[in-house]
Amino acid sequence: MKKNVLAKLMGVALIIVTVATSFRPSAGDPIKVGVYGPFSGGSAPMGLSMRNGVRLAVSEINAAGGVMGRKIELVERDDEAKNERGGQIMQELLFKEEVSAILGPINTGVADASTKYSNEKKVPQIINVAAGAKVNDLFATTPDNYIFRIAANDYVQSEMIVREALQKRKFKKPALLCDDTNYGQGGRAKMEAALAKRKITPTSVGKFKLKDTDMTAQLQEAKAAGADVLLVYGIGPELAAIANNLEKIGWKVPMIGGWTLSMSNFINNAGKNGNGATMPQTFIENGVVNGKAAKFLAAYKATYKEKNIPVAVAAAQGYDSVYLLKMAIEQAGSTDGPKVKAALENFKKGYTGVTGTYKKPFSATDHEAIHETNVMMGVVKDGIVVPPIK
Amino acid sequence: MEQFIQLLIGGIAQGMIYALVAFGYNITFSTSRSFNFSHGNFLMLGGVVGLILYINNQIPFLAMVLAVVLVGLLMGLILYKTSIEPSLKSKSNYAWILATLAFGIILKNMVEVFWSTDDFRFDSPLGNAPIRVMDVGVLPQEILIIVVALCIVVAVESFKKYTIFGKAIVAVSEDKNTASLMGINQQFVILFSFLLSSVIACLAGILVAPITMVGATMGTVLGVKAYAVSIIGGLESGYGVLLGGLIIGLSEAFTARYISTGYKDAPGFLILILVLLFLPSGIFGKTVIKKV
Repeated sequence: MKKNVLAKLMGVALIIVTVATSFRPSAGDPIKVGVYGPFSGGSAPMGLSMRNGVRLAVSEINAAGGVMGRKIELVERDDEAKNERGGQIMQELLFKEEVSAILGPINTGVADASTKYSNEKKVPQIINVAAGAKVNDLFATTPDNYIFRIAANDYVQSEMIVREALQKRKFKKPALLCDDTNYGQGGRAKMEAALAKRKITPTSVGKFKLKDTDMTAQLQEAKAAGADVLLVYGIGPELAAIANNLEKIGWKVPMIGGWTLSMSNFINNAGKNGNGATMPQTFIENGVVNGKAAKFLAAYKATYKEKNIPVAVAAAQGYDSVYLLKMAIEQAGSTDGPKVKAALENFKKGYTGVTGTYKKPFSATDHEAIHETNVMMGVVKDGIVVPPIK
Repeated sequence: MEQFIQLLIGGIAQGMIYALVAFGYNITFSTSRSFNFSHGNFLMLGGVVGLILYINNQIPFLAMVLAVVLVGLLMGLILYKTSIEPSLKSKSNYAWILATLAFGIILKNMVEVFWSTDDFRFDSPLGNAPIRVMDVGVLPQEILIIVVALCIVVAVESFKKYTIFGKAIVAVSEDKNTASLMGINQQFVILFSFLLSSVIACLAGILVAPITMVGATMGTVLGVKAYAVSIIGGLESGYGVLLGGLIIGLSEAFTARYISTGYKDAPGFLILILVLLFLPSGIFGKTVIKKV
């Protein structure tokens, strides 16, 4: 009798296993793609614009019949710009939702706390905003690297910032001012390295925290050290506090810094004090004349009814990241992680996107789509970012 | 020299902000031995309501202030009824800690869900152009903060000292049960202290908004720092928070400039530890012997 029950139980278990495995995604099921970023808090404008760009691309692709006849389904999660949330979300996306690919995130710290899960599960992840996150650096520890990026990384950014300050505008005494997050401190280290290459040490190196509003002390330190240009790395609200405090202490000094100087919450909160702030950009809304970028802009504005995109760079990179993924899946003919990764590393057709034209965006040793040639310097002028005056 | 004065003024203004927020902790602690751990979020609510009315809807400044006072009263009442009263009734010593914390989390998340997660600029009614004397720039709003904070603290302390109802508050904070025996409505005094504290928090929200910008997270750090300030000054001492605020505000400004911006917060919290070690009831606090 006992044996009988055991046999029955085993039979039931066998049935469950067979049924469960037969529910694996097959042709016709939607392709699940995870998207995560900060949709609340001080980094939210970047996250929301990125998500809008991603959603726009997905709705275009789905309207045109999807990828290999399958629709893309987004699984969106808010990481609140918290590093530990990033890791939790990734485990959920990969092991519970079983997504085929991942897009995002925005914050460097969140990215560094979560990319290892993609590599573990061998699911390709395209980082579409986080500039400081480790991507190519991961090859050293993880030769089989599934992390890609379409965003100007910190090496590209700091090199361009330093070149703009020293070579183009002939400043001699740069002072650094960076926030204390992974993003800010990574940027500081890379700007210091770029300066050291030119045998220059910064006159002072200041630090501030998220939510700091009084930057008087930091600015006075830089001023007393005789700085003639401020190189800054932070996010919108605190960068605005720097611009406003400069006005308060009556010091006129140009600000050059990371792409985050184009964030809406920098431009709006700094008002006229933000004029002249210069930063590397992969996409400048007000510099668009025609082509794919103009089409993207028209579609974005029609869908989201925003006068200016709060963070145009994030929206554009988010949009392009979806199309890169789509082309890779089509080329691979499968959503299988290793196959998609191989396709990403070896694009047969080039891709012309909103942020530029990519003949071969990635290779087996270089997972960065954006290099200095794709990036230009933008300048804040009366509430918008404009291309540099030639 | 002008650098020093600039830091001094900045530090004093920042210190007065801390003091004003910390004062909210003191008012209720003295009457009920409890306070609103989400005081910073009440401040945030004041700032957000102020921004919506004054900046977005162009309502006259004084009408907006009145509306914010009403919001403060309402929130104080809700907080008292939901988080404080049940905890005091149940004779639980600590339930109010979690209850008020939870209240604040709900408040902050509601603002994020129903309003916005972004930070907004709040233009000072006095203008954003700094007044420049010699080489020192002072924002008109900074002067306003210092004046208003001092006025509120002095007004409330005088009220406690010179009016009958104020004396009733002092009586309740000295000894609840004896005060009750003398015919003072203890519950009402505690409710009143929570209303007052929450109105001050909301007013502080519009006061600091032009400096800190307005957003759902504007009160979080302020609330924590102000808590340290009220411990340093003495949880039961009204004027103590002014000193506590100045200690933290000035130490932040001068440390950032002359030691390192990375260690800005260190001296303040070091002082907090020293105060807890050697003067556990704060610099101005009265040592209370709890009879068992």
